[in-house]
Amino acid sequence: MPDENWQPRIVAFVCQWCTYAGADLAGTNRMKYEPHVRIVKLPCSGRIDPLFLVKAFEQGADGVLVSGCHPGDCHYVSGNMLARRRFTVFRELLNFLGLEPERLQFSWVSAAEAVKWTEVVDAVTEEIRRLGPRKLSWGQGPPGESFKFQVSSSKVEPETWNLKPEIQKAAEEGIRRIARQLLQTGEVGVVVGYGKGTLNGVTTPVFITEPDEVEQLVWNEHCLNNLSVYLTRNLVRELGRVGVVAKGCDAKALVVLLQENQICRHDLSIIGVPCAGMLENGRLAAKCATCDVHRPPLYDHLAEVEIGSEEAEADPRDAEIAALEALTPAERWAYWQEQFSRCIRCYACRAVCPLCYCDTCIVEKTQPQWIPPAFDGKGNLSWNIFRAFHLAGRCVGCDECARVCPTHIRLDLINRKLALLIREEYGYRAGYETGAAPPLTTFRPEDRAEFIR
Amino acid sequence: MKCRILRRDKLTDWLAELLGTGRQLIAPQREGEEVVFKPVRAADEILLDYGNTRWPLKEWFFPRSEPILRYRYRGSSVELEQPHLGLEPRVIFGVRPCDATGVMILDQVFHSDYEDEFYTRRRAMTTIVGLACTEPAEACFCTAVGLSPTSSEGCDMLLTPMGDESYLVETPTDKGKQLLWEYAHYFGAGECGSKEMVTEAAEAKLSRRAWLAQGIEAVDGLFEHPIWTELARKCVGCGICAYVCPTCHCFDILDEADAWGGVRCRNWDSCAFSLFTLHASGHNPRPEQDARYRQRVMHKFSYFPQRFGRVMCVGCGRCVAACPVNLDIYETAQAVLSRAATMPNAHENPGRKRQPPHSV
Repeated sequence: MPDENWQPRIVAFVCQWCTYAGADLAGTNRMKYEPHVRIVKLPCSGRIDPLFLVKAFEQGADGVLVSGCHPGDCHYVSGNMLARRRFTVFRELLNFLGLEPERLQFSWVSAAEAVKWTEVVDAVTEEIRRLGPRKLSWGQGPPGESFKFQVSSSKVEPETWNLKPEIQKAAEEGIRRIARQLLQTGEVGVVVGYGKGTLNGVTTPVFITEPDEVEQLVWNEHCLNNLSVYLTRNLVRELGRVGVVAKGCDAKALVVLLQENQICRHDLSIIGVPCAGMLENGRLAAKCATCDVHRPPLYDHLAEVEIGSEEAEADPRDAEIAALEALTPAERWAYWQEQFSRCIRCYACRAVCPLCYCDTCIVEKTQPQWIPPAFDGKGNLSWNIFRAFHLAGRCVGCDECARVCPTHIRLDLINRKLALLIREEYGYRAGYETGAAPPLTTFRPEDRAEFIR
Repeated sequence: MKCRILRRDKLTDWLAELLGTGRQLIAPQREGEEVVFKPVRAADEILLDYGNTRWPLKEWFFPRSEPILRYRYRGSSVELEQPHLGLEPRVIFGVRPCDATGVMILDQVFHSDYEDEFYTRRRAMTTIVGLACTEPAEACFCTAVGLSPTSSEGCDMLLTPMGDESYLVETPTDKGKQLLWEYAHYFGAGECGSKEMVTEAAEAKLSRRAWLAQGIEAVDGLFEHPIWTELARKCVGCGICAYVCPTCHCFDILDEADAWGGVRCRNWDSCAFSLFTLHASGHNPRPEQDARYRQRVMHKFSYFPQRFGRVMCVGCGRCVAACPVNLDIYETAQAVLSRAATMPNAHENPGRKRQPPHSV
């Protein structure tokens, strides 16, 4: 039974220079407005980390309001314009996960706009009151039979697979030849490549340090791992300059690592391999069907083989994303809560991600404990939100996280959704240009954000 | 040879009857692409022809996350509340012998110097009915660690398929005998072939047969040997291996609190994580993945055997199959065992001079 005395609990994160001053002005002018907003003052809307918003929801807020200076008025010149991009993406992410969009609101309120502040608060309060209290707490799915969302699996059948054994052999010989040469000349201290796995249909990363060990390197349809993950690892870096075997998708991750100054171009030799696609569970991996980088965009040495020209197909996941977006927020919420309820917090998604290179991950920060560590709905939802958000505009779609997830959470759908959004909003695709500014570290004055009041 | 048997066509009837008697029945069922243990609603949903479940049995005794107490502030005092385990007697059916042995290993840990109340109470309420394994998977290596696909160790009752007609029924414990007695009308005496033949046939399908059950001797110099770095270089440091392992049992205890109270929670943890050994001072005694991987291997094959007399691995192969980089504990154990065997047990310590990471 809904409590008839219920009133919404709304947390407002505001900038101290504009909105807070505006709210102050409303107070000193004795303006009357809804009293259900708790204000948290921060130096700038650029300082408002989405973590704060999630924490508020996690602790039971019915709604969250974020407010700062109008674009162009920032005390720190551009903090609010960076925040605009960040919240455009973050809001879409939460929307995709099924949070009702009315619960997360944004506004620009200047120090002079006391009236606007009262109007915004009244309007937000009214919308949230109409929605009522959050029926399900953070990370909680609906009771009973969990909502199952079915889309027809459109993964491409292996018949389209066109990597022939003689081409594999040629690529393998090319890799070995280049590796031997790099090690003999001392150009690199170690070559990171694929070796024979211990199970059928599996390869394993190998670290070759001697020219006569290069026969361990293999190339076949099971070279799924993205080896660029090792370039930021101390145990590999201590061997000297690194030569890495890279498919097109792996080279995209190298581009981002270079862009973000995590590796130095001079300490790296990329052994590019043209790739027609890899198999996952006997089928062409989804990322391969839609691949537009059969030839690595970046390499120093190429194991040249003829792979023919493959037309990139439409990504089957786009249809799944569209189908999810056609659902109501409550249905999407139920879908994702069921997915995340399976998360066991093994952090394999993070461990295999070449772009998750932080020494201390947000989930390891304990003062305060930003992400609840227990394997329950609350922490699982917060973790999965931040894993995805920290990769927004950076993820190159190598799908390693989705491949290794032991509970098959559709992380690839979330990554793809954010990549599509960023492409549409900012015309940016990650992993193609080492000189480009990552989209969430920059802005344009004319960036759209119609959702901000 | 006369022995106790259960006819195959009676198995579902028996399980259906078990389900109706107030006992909770947990058994392997399909969930999406995987087979997992979960509470049974209808006996015909139980799977019999599966290799092994995605997750081991341990979470039914030692949950992934377990509240051990709740507290609430009342004025200036604190009110404590013990969690309600809500236990009822239960039967877990369809357990592979490797997993049943995994539970025995956990028993040794949770009953050793400290009797773990939560574990013990769940364990006491549970009867384990095993189902011998006749089709070991590619990654399996139970015989390498001294077990067998048809071993009854850890089971209260074990069913071994004997031909197409019947199961051989063994009840090594009182709990199993009790269950047999209660449902005696299903379990007849009958002719059955020799179990040794079934065992031999199953074991013949295993391709990983090196002998690892002797564990690793405490050899001087092995701890600091460069082999650990070579082996662990590919480890990306996720926790999959520990979480799919039937015997890994490390946990962390944390308070999750808000302004009004909180809950003290025990969560699974993994030695592969850097946070596992991070001190409050910022010092980390296992600074890199090689030290962490060494801990995993040595715990299973050296420290545990030294303390409890058996290796802490049941050869279920889950970690091998689930590892994102195919870091294979069977291969590792072989490599380390053979290295340890050839090492001069002298006070010679090659050490490992770690170079600073290559400049960036």
